[in-house]
Amino acid sequence: MPVLLKAQPVKQFRYSAPWRVSTLWKDRVQQFLFIAPTSFYLVVLTLFPFIYSVYLSLHKVRLTTLHRKLFVGLQNYVNLFHDGVFMEALRNTALLIIASLILEILIGFVMAKVFYEIRRIRWVNGLRSVYLMPVMLTPLSVGVTFGYILNPTLGIMNYLLQCIGLSPVAWLGEPTTAQISILMINVWQWSPFMMLLILAGLTSIPQNIYEAAEVDGAKWHHIVRFVEIPSVRSIIMLGAILRIIDMLRFFDVVYVATRGGPANATMLVTLYAYQEDFQYFDVGQGSAAAVLILIISIVVTTFAVRFMRSIEYEQA
Amino acid sequence: MMKKMLATLASGSILALLTAASANAQNVDWSKALGHYPNLTLSVMSETDPYIDAIKATKDGFTPLTGAKVAVDGYGYDALHNKELLGCSQNDKSYDVMLIDGIWLGEFVEASCVDSINDRIKKDEQIVAWDDFTSQGAGQATWEGVRYCLPVAIYYELLFYRTDLFAQAHKEAPKTFAELTDTAKFFTNNPDFPGVYGYAMNNARGAAAGQQFFEWIFNAGGIPWKSNYIGSKDPYADQTPMFNSPEGVALVQLFKDMLRYEPPGAEGYAWDERANAFAAGKLAMINDWSVRAQIANDPKTSKIAGKFASALMASRDGKPVPPIGGWVMCINSHSDHKDAAWDFMKWFASKEVHKQYALAGGTPSRLSTITDADVQAKAPWTKTIFEAQKTAWTEVRPRHPLTFQLIDTLGVEVNKAIIGELTPKAAMDEANAKITEMLKSGGLLK
Repeated sequence: MPVLLKAQPVKQFRYSAPWRVSTLWKDRVQQFLFIAPTSFYLVVLTLFPFIYSVYLSLHKVRLTTLHRKLFVGLQNYVNLFHDGVFMEALRNTALLIIASLILEILIGFVMAKVFYEIRRIRWVNGLRSVYLMPVMLTPLSVGVTFGYILNPTLGIMNYLLQCIGLSPVAWLGEPTTAQISILMINVWQWSPFMMLLILAGLTSIPQNIYEAAEVDGAKWHHIVRFVEIPSVRSIIMLGAILRIIDMLRFFDVVYVATRGGPANATMLVTLYAYQEDFQYFDVGQGSAAAVLILIISIVVTTFAVRFMRSIEYEQA
Repeated sequence: MMKKMLATLASGSILALLTAASANAQNVDWSKALGHYPNLTLSVMSETDPYIDAIKATKDGFTPLTGAKVAVDGYGYDALHNKELLGCSQNDKSYDVMLIDGIWLGEFVEASCVDSINDRIKKDEQIVAWDDFTSQGAGQATWEGVRYCLPVAIYYELLFYRTDLFAQAHKEAPKTFAELTDTAKFFTNNPDFPGVYGYAMNNARGAAAGQQFFEWIFNAGGIPWKSNYIGSKDPYADQTPMFNSPEGVALVQLFKDMLRYEPPGAEGYAWDERANAFAAGKLAMINDWSVRAQIANDPKTSKIAGKFASALMASRDGKPVPPIGGWVMCINSHSDHKDAAWDFMKWFASKEVHKQYALAGGTPSRLSTITDADVQAKAPWTKTIFEAQKTAWTEVRPRHPLTFQLIDTLGVEVNKAIIGELTPKAAMDEANAKITEMLKSGGLLK
């Protein structure tokens, strides 16, 4: 009869050779060294400036006398909301974003449709490249160039108007025309970007869907409304989010062309922050404006991304 | 005895003649007055007004005397202000000599960007000849009684008008606001003068419109703030703003009314647009800084070279107070070559070199240069500058640390009135309120 041996507890044998420990330590050091450059970059060039900006925003301080700071808490933020110029800048920025998005999406969609329909023509690639050129220009050079084009005395726009018997226009000299001019410059430069995104979406629609729609007797506007727009909706949303982020940083064109004028008609939040920081050297107020812009950007893009995800969920 | 008397008289006369002839020549022994700096390049930062070309044309005379080369970099107005102050806040040593607008001096002194040159002037009194600078120029280079800079590029604001058009119209340069308005109206949309507008002002938002207000307010019979009246012993004693005084409001109304006689798009005009329009033959007259007359006088770029003259600017009652502006040359307090910088400054500002600079197109800041026959022949408006400095007032624009922000804020409101967004009264009330708050917050007003 087999004898059942009483089970003995198994001793845990720990193998603790020294070279095993130093290998683990080496791995850790290696991992740290790999991520150190990126971390250093992020801390020095992103995190530290942000934290320092927040710190400055809580003080009354000028750039020329940084050693003389007075802690004022949230007073700079309160001052911003009481500052008519800042509120006007906020309103102008919001209007610019909404108007630009609407026009860029409309024009982008129309141009994407055009390029989609002519996609089989031989020279369409070259034509597309030419249409995309504004996107490749630096905003600063765009601002300078349009400043000359729209110059009331020497600019070509007024020259052409006078050639056809019309009176010259103060493109950048009157509030409404200045706002429209800045809007048009922005739309001119960035609607090709929206076109590119939408075109990518259109080309990804399977051909059999078009064929099925045609078989069902759908006209072109039915195809646009029930096939193409739903298919490219999420891409349009993505483009809109990217453009919102971009336009919250819109600065170069306005700085060069109008400096926020006439009056404060084209003043934007970025230009306001620049003016406070680097023209008036009131870095406390300027930093508060910059932090507020960041908060607004985060809130807006968070909502936009959630909205985009809800659309994707619906489509799925 | 008679022979002795005649001999004394003759030698005295010859001596007097020689002294008069050498009013601009100081007979300075530069080999003893300047140091030796081989392998050194002094860096000078300046604004890009027309005088910069005259600095570049003159500066190389310093090299054979000292071995030091001089490099001059130019920037636009706002860019220069930002660069100099930002550089100063970073203890930037890359520039040794800085030209700054006289109205920035208070701000630069507060930020410790420029060194006092009082002691240096005392050691080189004969070369610097401080009393030879116009009193307003000397004032622009001084802050709170201390001399910080040398006034090498001082401007006076003059009226420039088209002699050909005025001769054809049998008109004279206007002396009063009423005459100015009438003359501007006459030339605008006049079939005898096609394509010509009467006038153009600094209407653009910000510094342009703001500075213009200060330049004109004394001529409008008003004052910008309580203690700043002509002859005031302490113009900064009480800085309570007076922008919404009846004179201030009337002045802004004048700016708005004059828009009818200006080219399309003049709402956005600043200095460059006006000077270019005048040089292109589109304007019958403008007010401008004396230095910019060269833009109109250059036959390569101007259609009216030789066809304009200068006069004192118009005023409400015919008693002009010519505005003063311009640039003063200072030592960067963070420079490693302050002695060399000072040597360059005193050499450049000396009477003989200043005359060369003026003949090269620079704006004269010394009385000896302004009254020099050669300079007056080259730049006829210099005679008007001499008249202007008799009645100009140094503190026509504020020069304290909040100047830039103050002028910009005022300029936004003035622009609003000009384009019709606000009435002149509402705009000036708004400007007064904002600037009062700004000065209180900055500790300049109780």
